[in-house]
Amino acid sequence: MNRSLVILLGALVLGVALFGGSYFAGQRACRMTRSADDLSWLRDEFHLGDAEMSRIQKLHEGYLPKCAEMCAKIAAKKSELETALGPDTHVGVNSTTNVNPVAQQKLAELAALRAQCQSQMLQHFIEVSQTMPPEQGRRYLAEMQRFTLGFHEQTESSMSGSMDHEHHH
Amino acid sequence: MNKEKENINPDPGFAEARDPKLSALLRESRVSPALLPRFREGVWRRIEEAAAPARSPGGIAWLDALVTLVLRPRFALATATVLIVAGALLGVRNGNQMAHQDAQARYLAVVAPNLLR
Repeated sequence: MNRSLVILLGALVLGVALFGGSYFAGQRACRMTRSADDLSWLRDEFHLGDAEMSRIQKLHEGYLPKCAEMCAKIAAKKSELETALGPDTHVGVNSTTNVNPVAQQKLAELAALRAQCQSQMLQHFIEVSQTMPPEQGRRYLAEMQRFTLGFHEQTESSMSGSMDHEHHH
Repeated sequence: MNKEKENINPDPGFAEARDPKLSALLRESRVSPALLPRFREGVWRRIEEAAAPARSPGGIAWLDALVTLVLRPRFALATATVLIVAGALLGVRNGNQMAHQDAQARYLAVVAPNLLR
């Protein structure tokens, strides 16, 4: 009985190893053969042709420096805000439990920069969507809005949900 | 010389066959021992046991049967092939999905960095 059990367990281990090995080999091979291009997702997801991809590539290359510039501005503003908050005050609250005016100003500037950046980003998405066939363009725009603005909606809805919860009690 | 050597060890059966009297005497002189009680029954029982399929002492015959099946080369080869093919197909499918997600994350990271979201 023991011998049979050992043989059976050995066969089971061997089977698992064979399955697992071929699974990981297949997965790895597949991931390695896919192109590492930034726009490859657009081509696959929205079934775009070479002409459309070429137009999108131009738009993409035009947008990237603007995006980088805005990112740099936002990063600089965040740094200014941190300085305004100062090391002695916790989350910008001073001894009188008010946010200091400089920090308030920096927060407003940061929000304005983010809004400007998001507006520029949405404009880019609209331009890209217009280079696609209408149906794909609509889907692309909806997807991009969900990915970029949906995050805030999710946070806000979760917060309002927790507020409701608290009010019920 | 050779003929002399052959005569030194004569065949006893040959001598018996040549001499019927000697042969009859030898047959009478052979003692056939009495069989043990139930000897014949015991022999048949042993033959039946040897012919019957072996049973494991623990009584888990199905385990032995399974091992016998697993150890068959054709079965082992077929199972290994099925496992490899199924594993590779699932891996490729999963790899495709992961590559798609990676590509999507890469695009989003470029056009909408986390800083902006």
